Amino acid sequence: MKKAPVSALSHRRLSRWTAIVAVYGAAVVLGYLAGGSMLRSSSSAPPSPARTALARARVGWVLRQPDAPAPPAARADLQAEIAIAQQSWPPSLRGLFELVAAVQGLSTGGQPDWARAQSRCQALKWSQCDRAALEQLRARGRP
Amino acid sequence: MTGPRGLWIVKLVVGPLLGALLAARLGQVRAGAGRGRFGGWPVDLSGPEASALQLAPARAAANAAWALGSPDAVKESSKWELDQLAPTEVPRRVQLLLRFGIVDTNPDGQAAIFGQVCATDPSTCAHLKDATEGETRTRLVAPGNRLPPFFIAGHPHVPGM
Repeated sequence: MKKAPVSALSHRRLSRWTAIVAVYGAAVVLGYLAGGSMLRSSSSAPPSPARTALARARVGWVLRQPDAPAPPAARADLQAEIAIAQQSWPPSLRGLFELVAAVQGLSTGGQPDWARAQSRCQALKWSQCDRAALEQLRARGRP
Repeated sequence: MTGPRGLWIVKLVVGPLLGALLAARLGQVRAGAGRGRFGGWPVDLSGPEASALQLAPARAAANAAWALGSPDAVKESSKWELDQLAPTEVPRRVQLLLRFGIVDTNPDGQAAIFGQVCATDPSTCAHLKDATEGETRTRLVAPGNRLPPFFIAGHPHVPGM
């Protein structure tokens, strides 16, 4: 039996190892991506009543902390809570919820979003939607 | 033959599968790591403040509607909060009922609502006009920023007042 040359053997071994590493690498990358997307898809499912209640409580907590606005890193989390809480409201009151959120700066680190507040106020067809009125609303609208 | 084949199965099927599972867990942990970074907010609903916090957005909306909103917005937001309010929260219940009554344009409806105020809190009922007037002062727009005709002399009053 004729022996294969050493260089051919090592070449075959190398390509075998390359294939194994590629299989492992692909498995790890796919697993990582699947794990992340599983969490995202589970969080896009309709929230349970307990989850909704928690979101409302969190939004309530933020509304009661005018001097402790959400740090930028937490704003995405807060935004998710606001969305859950808002969805649990009657459709006819969601515009009012948005107005309160804009005036109290829920999504903007406590800084009022006056332009949004004005447009929400006008959409509700309220008689006074100017900046001065909205500032009063901000002062009086805290829970 | 079983040995090398088994080894290959471990190397190319079981191993990558385990790697994928571990990576999936890591992916989940990393994706969830960004959550809950807002220190201090409720992590569950077990605290004594939990129900008050849950109600706070509805309260903020009702207060906003009372400050500037239309009568319909006042009624709807007040009802939304009233529906969630604990029976023990009498002062807030009375306040919301007063607001509801102030913006109600129907005299019979108004009488019925003020009657509810009296049934809820007899001490407020004894000073209903003052309590109503105080509430109208916190409203910035008409209708509802003045004492309603219900309290004008000659207007039919709530039985028992």
